[in-house]
Amino acid sequence: MSVIELAANGVVYSSIIVLASIGLSLIYSIAGFANFAHGDTMTVGAYATLVAFGLIGGVGFTILGVPLGFFAAVGVGIAAAAVVAVVTQRMVYDALDVGSIGLLITSIGIAFIYRALIQMGFGADTVRYDIPSLRPIESLQQYGVLITAHDLATVLSAALLVTGLHVLLQHTDLGRKMRAMADNPDLARVSGIRTYRVKLWSWVIGAGLAGAGGAFLGLFNQLSPRMGFNLLLVVFAAVILGGIGSVYGAVLGGFLIGMIVEMTPLLSRVGVPIGIEYAEAVAFLIMVAILLVRPTGIAGDTAEGGGV
Amino acid sequence: MSRFDPRTLGDELTFTEVLVSVVLGFVALALLLSLAAGRLGPSYFLFLFGLAGMYALLSLGLNAQWGFGGLINFSVAAFFGIGAYGAALMTAGNSPIAGGFSPLIGLIVALLVAAIVAVAIGVPTLRLRADYLAIATLGLAEVIRLFLRNERQWTNGSAGIRGIPSFFEGWPLLGTFPQTMPTLEIVIVVGSPITLGTQFWRQLLNVSLLLAFLGGAFFVLRRAQQSPWGRVLRTIRSDEDLAKALGKNTFAFKMQAFVLGSVIMALAGVFYAHLNLFVNPGDLDPITTFYVWVAVILGGSGSNRGALLGGFVVVAIREGSRFLNDFAWFPIDGAPLRLLLIGLLIVLVMRFRPQGVLPPQRELIWPSAIEGSSTPERPTSGVRERKGGSGGGGGNGNDGGDNDE
Repeated sequence: MSVIELAANGVVYSSIIVLASIGLSLIYSIAGFANFAHGDTMTVGAYATLVAFGLIGGVGFTILGVPLGFFAAVGVGIAAAAVVAVVTQRMVYDALDVGSIGLLITSIGIAFIYRALIQMGFGADTVRYDIPSLRPIESLQQYGVLITAHDLATVLSAALLVTGLHVLLQHTDLGRKMRAMADNPDLARVSGIRTYRVKLWSWVIGAGLAGAGGAFLGLFNQLSPRMGFNLLLVVFAAVILGGIGSVYGAVLGGFLIGMIVEMTPLLSRVGVPIGIEYAEAVAFLIMVAILLVRPTGIAGDTAEGGGV
Repeated sequence: MSRFDPRTLGDELTFTEVLVSVVLGFVALALLLSLAAGRLGPSYFLFLFGLAGMYALLSLGLNAQWGFGGLINFSVAAFFGIGAYGAALMTAGNSPIAGGFSPLIGLIVALLVAAIVAVAIGVPTLRLRADYLAIATLGLAEVIRLFLRNERQWTNGSAGIRGIPSFFEGWPLLGTFPQTMPTLEIVIVVGSPITLGTQFWRQLLNVSLLLAFLGGAFFVLRRAQQSPWGRVLRTIRSDEDLAKALGKNTFAFKMQAFVLGSVIMALAGVFYAHLNLFVNPGDLDPITTFYVWVAVILGGSGSNRGALLGGFVVVAIREGSRFLNDFAWFPIDGAPLRLLLIGLLIVLVMRFRPQGVLPPQRELIWPSAIEGSSTPERPTSGVRERKGGSGGGGGNGNDGGDNDE
């Protein structure tokens, strides 16, 4: 595989990681704990999309080989992930008084509950959306790039969502409050921001983006109850690389980690004997290295972030 | 020793302790009855007991790290796997690297490798903040799992390693104990006799081995917890800066706890290899780590007897949900049910009893330190006599134990 082909795959994979890592980073800084249920929130989004797409069907014209009905179904998936996360926050996390480590451990339990319920409803086997898979786009093949129209749809949707989030953060009242809270929750509170409401909105946005990431991950591979949990550590690597609490850092970190994972085959070409099977291991080692050398990540400021 | 006087034993137990004892008593009674009635095969029962003890051993190891020192280690499965693979690779017939060694050598090698890996992981990560440590150890555990799965020339890859001998193979007397023991048949309920064959004697040996491991680990940890070393670790857990201000090298203490716990986890892995006689990379699945976490949190962080209890409860959930699959009318598959129960258990414990069912109480205190204050009318030796001898007026030495330091 050529470098350009690996890079193209990397962009597609990255866009999914980016969607997931924004939410994880937001929740890490605003809710104050490492949410181990984030990967399974992606799974919730994917399976909700599957159900909604089954109900809606491929109505309307197709954009990039994806029927319009699928985009509507992704919307349902986003909403479902957000609702599930907010309900969990109000019923479980809010009622706890156990500190950030206790919340972290609780979120593992939540992750298992999500996954168990999905597995009970849909079985442990992999499933696919009812969309015929496509051949790579002809006109790009001459450059050695093998990506399908579905991949292109994934990248464009992710770009659209990230742009929307950027507008929200920079140009709306809620966005300014969220940035203020991620920066310094106490200061935000004494400034009269209703922090509880902003916290709920961060859950909505973070889980919603994770749901979208899960939906497109299902289009990229297939759906299985473990799909999100398997990706969780890669997403953590992206968040830590980007800097916890920074949305833009998460975008950058997600992009870099996604590229690194997909470009791992290049290592053996330059003489480093690390095969594709260690792609994720490379990401984890980078994560540990970042934690040691610069725990604030690329975009993080020097002050201690949320958490403990 | 007043603590072991049966007349006062009941007074010192808390309500929960009594409740737990009663429930455990009923469970034990039910198991004994079903054994006697021939509903539960004795060798399968011993296998389950071995599995429960193995989880208890893993929980003890994690307790040394999280309960004593507050280290969030999410690489339990990795150290368990290192122990299992270390023993398997050294002793198994089809081992790709060494093979054919005595299980004792396998045990030593496995524990040594686990200690070395623990130091290698601990040196970079133990300086990290608690939540970063959790993420980093989970990542490194996955690296170890990927390594064992992909390096086929050393580990057989996902095919796993078969042909592991039982731990006592080649030992005089014990090596052939299961074969030489006669097959016994005991009839308690007429019509369903209990057969004690070779399989039973083999499992009996396994369980004795486990009890030896478990007992050894339990007493080492109990001693460690009560010692000055354990006190420093508890200080680090609640306030690391304070421990530093007191002049303690907190990194060294955390490293010692990390290595100690990891070696105990590897010990559980060694036992598993000789119990199951087959290991594969699936044994390093992160779910094992979280099973052990559930056991420790449920039992009570920092409590060794809580870790024992937690280990048994986890196996009850694990094997109980498997058992439910035998009933055709039961609509839910065992695997997701197990996951659901574990998840619910974590959430419920964190919500309603974050300190666990059996939180550490007197076990944190050196026994002689509470003797004076809990039973004042009992004449005690040791501390009080020394105080009296130094001319402090032996008559009202009631507070002798407290002023010991």
